[in-house]
Amino acid sequence: MIFSWQMILMIVLSSIFLAWFLYRPIRVNLSDEDSNIRINRQRQNELASDMSLGLIEEVYYQEAKDEIIGTLASELKSIESNNVETKPLMWSFIIALFIAILSLSLYSQLAPKAMPSSLDKSIEPLSLSESIETLKDYLIENPGDFQALKIMGLAQIGIGNVDESIETFESAYLINPADIDLLLQYANAIAASQEGQFDGKSKALIEEAFILDPQSIQVLYFSGIVAAHEGNLNGAIEFWQKALYLMPEDHPDRNTIEEALDTVLNLQVK
Amino acid sequence: MLIEIGHFALVLALIFSILLVVLPSIGIYQNKSSLAQLSKPLVWGQCFWITVAFFVLMSAFLSNDFSVKYVAENSNTQLPILYKASAVWGAHEGSLLLWVFVLSLWSIAVSIFSKQIPSNLLNLILTVLGAVSFGFLLFLLYTSNPFERLMIPPLEGRELNPLLQDFGLAVHPPMLYMGYVGLSVPFAFVISALIRGQLDSSWLRWTRPWTLISWAFLTVGIILGSWWAYYELGWGGWWFWDPVENASFMPWLVATALIHSLSVSEKRGAFRQWTVLLAIGGFSLSLLGTFLVRSGVLTSVHAFATDPARGLFILIFLFIVIGGSLALYAWRYNLLQKNNPISLFSRETGLLVNNILLVTAMLSVLLGTLYPLILDTLNLGKISVGVPYFNAVFIPIMLPAVLVMAIVPFVRWKKDNLMRIASHLRLYWLGILALILVARIILTDNVYVLLSIGLFIWMLVHVMVLLISRIRSKSIFSLAFVGMLVAHLGIAVFVLGATVTTQLGIEKDIKMSVGESHNIAGYDFVFNGVSRHENKNYRGFKGDLTVLKDNKEVVRLYPEKRQYQTGMPMTEAAIDPSISRDLYVALGESLGGDAWSVRIYYKPLVRWIWLGGLMIAIGALFAAIDRRYFLRIKS
Repeated sequence: MIFSWQMILMIVLSSIFLAWFLYRPIRVNLSDEDSNIRINRQRQNELASDMSLGLIEEVYYQEAKDEIIGTLASELKSIESNNVETKPLMWSFIIALFIAILSLSLYSQLAPKAMPSSLDKSIEPLSLSESIETLKDYLIENPGDFQALKIMGLAQIGIGNVDESIETFESAYLINPADIDLLLQYANAIAASQEGQFDGKSKALIEEAFILDPQSIQVLYFSGIVAAHEGNLNGAIEFWQKALYLMPEDHPDRNTIEEALDTVLNLQVK
Repeated sequence: MLIEIGHFALVLALIFSILLVVLPSIGIYQNKSSLAQLSKPLVWGQCFWITVAFFVLMSAFLSNDFSVKYVAENSNTQLPILYKASAVWGAHEGSLLLWVFVLSLWSIAVSIFSKQIPSNLLNLILTVLGAVSFGFLLFLLYTSNPFERLMIPPLEGRELNPLLQDFGLAVHPPMLYMGYVGLSVPFAFVISALIRGQLDSSWLRWTRPWTLISWAFLTVGIILGSWWAYYELGWGGWWFWDPVENASFMPWLVATALIHSLSVSEKRGAFRQWTVLLAIGGFSLSLLGTFLVRSGVLTSVHAFATDPARGLFILIFLFIVIGGSLALYAWRYNLLQKNNPISLFSRETGLLVNNILLVTAMLSVLLGTLYPLILDTLNLGKISVGVPYFNAVFIPIMLPAVLVMAIVPFVRWKKDNLMRIASHLRLYWLGILALILVARIILTDNVYVLLSIGLFIWMLVHVMVLLISRIRSKSIFSLAFVGMLVAHLGIAVFVLGATVTTQLGIEKDIKMSVGESHNIAGYDFVFNGVSRHENKNYRGFKGDLTVLKDNKEVVRLYPEKRQYQTGMPMTEAAIDPSISRDLYVALGESLGGDAWSVRIYYKPLVRWIWLGGLMIAIGALFAAIDRRYFLRIKS
């Protein structure tokens, strides 16, 4: 467990801050009695103003005024109490002890038992471009690492290098052609390179993914797009309806598919 | 190390909240003034440490510190800086931190701006707020720690939900939370008064301005959410009766009832039991809403079961707050019983009717929101309660509320006569009827629109009559009076906007090829094609449409279809806004060749919805800063 000097400083500052106000307490605002007298007097003024505006009849004005006075009378029963002096030193000590023991024991219970190894160094996260360079270096040593290739393809898409990402995905595809996520990302990259058109190899990849897992929501969504591109609106509807059926209610992509489905359904009606 | 300091600051804030509950309580019980008066410094200290924790987390987002699990899951290096900052509250842990941060700000505000509140009451109020923040800090630290580290930090973080990559995330949740959490202040006032057994004029007087301010924030939060959903989701809708929306709307309805009930309790001493219940109910609903949304119960019942620790904590906390408050209410019921008599036709009765309608409306929303969840939890099947239910139940309840709202300001306190009101206003009523008939002849025969026009004129005329009569009487205009007029007019503006845009709006889904044109509501939409479009954190397609009216170009619209790292496309609608109508275009799917599906909306008076909401909030703020709350009267 790591306790740093900063934490000790935070405890000391907290204790001194509270001790200060024990030695120099904040002035008391006003008593209940004073407050109620003020408010009820103000209420009487407001009642008079209401009468001048015609918001209460004269007959009931006196009744309402009596009610205010009655309310005040019932409120002026506060019990007189003498202030008991406190010992600031003792209380400051108790508070400091309480803060120190409880905060350190709570923190030791909540904080991780070991710190991440990288914390000793200053963490300078890599940008996507730097990540790609790191991955490239890594792939020179490990050219067959499927996951690394897939991540690099995604990163290349992230910075807009679509052509390079297609090459990387192709390399990953040659290693593992049965990874659905890769097939869809690869198809997506190819479509991006051909003005969003899911045809040719892009379409073939989605079909391959469909054969591998016809129940995958992502695959169904992309299959629907391919069908829509081909003008096969019934096919698109079927894919998207199935995707929605399989999706949990709180799936973040639900809205997107519903929207696409609505669009196609509306087009069909017209 | 900074992250550990943030974490430790949260621990210290928890310790301060414990001290805030314990020390002033000892001070009040043992008449030790210096201990009781520690409530203010404890609130300031607690707020300081929560602020430290909040900004440490924000700095972790801004510096891409992916060694923090929460940052790695909700941000990446490509995210624009505004979204990085707002991603702090983009998911569960951070939004809870925002909750306690906002609560600490409210506590500070109460401690600073309550110089006219008796110290005994104020210390107890701050203690109750400390108890609420203790519950939340415990929840945060034990089940939702935002400072949790990853043993192996990733090179790059995940994507923030694309829907949240918007300016709306920067403003909507903080405003909504200011409203939600703000309702803890009237709750604390009421609980303190109940604990002390002194249900006197002080708590009634000072509860109202705080309720008005939090209600104003809640209103702004809700309308910001509605506006965000309108332009971001690409459906052109502004309210979906979604359970998450309902979770914020229910406390708003109760808070609306509370500010009206408080005015009667404060002025006439009536309805105290009712006022206390509403204050408890408002905060309990805001707690229920926050927890339902944040625990995942609303979107999926099973999300609750996936994290039993959070679910159990939520249930215990809700039980303590709601159960404890109601037990206290029952204990002090005798003290609340004193009521001044009111007659059947009086301003007090009018406000009571308004209260009953608002609470009934809230219950109808609560039923529609919770019923499917209860059935699902009990494995009794899945049902969906949607727009038809809410429209069928909610609107008929609120219709008489709007009618009553225009009349009640004319009714006298204590006792009045319906004939007096009728004789005073009958000529105006005939005028209103005539104007509705004119609207029927020259504008529309749509019954709903005519009804909303009628309500709008009804409210407008009554507000004008009130205003003119007050000018004639040459009396001083109070900000409370002006605020009431602005807020009531805001309701009328909202009702008209909502009805007209729903009833007369046009929606078309069209297949458009380059050069093709479609006429909608007198506007020609010409499709100029789609081009590729890229930005730092997304890429996609940008449509280009020219809108013409009478062959003159009105505007060029560029709807987008974006693809973020998650792969799924997002619709970014293009809108030409104006006070009389919005032209709204969303780009759909490519349909092969140069054809695309395009969704076009014509939305008359849609801006009036948010304008009305803004007027309501401004009206509340006017009323909250009325001079009566700043007057100093010698005792």
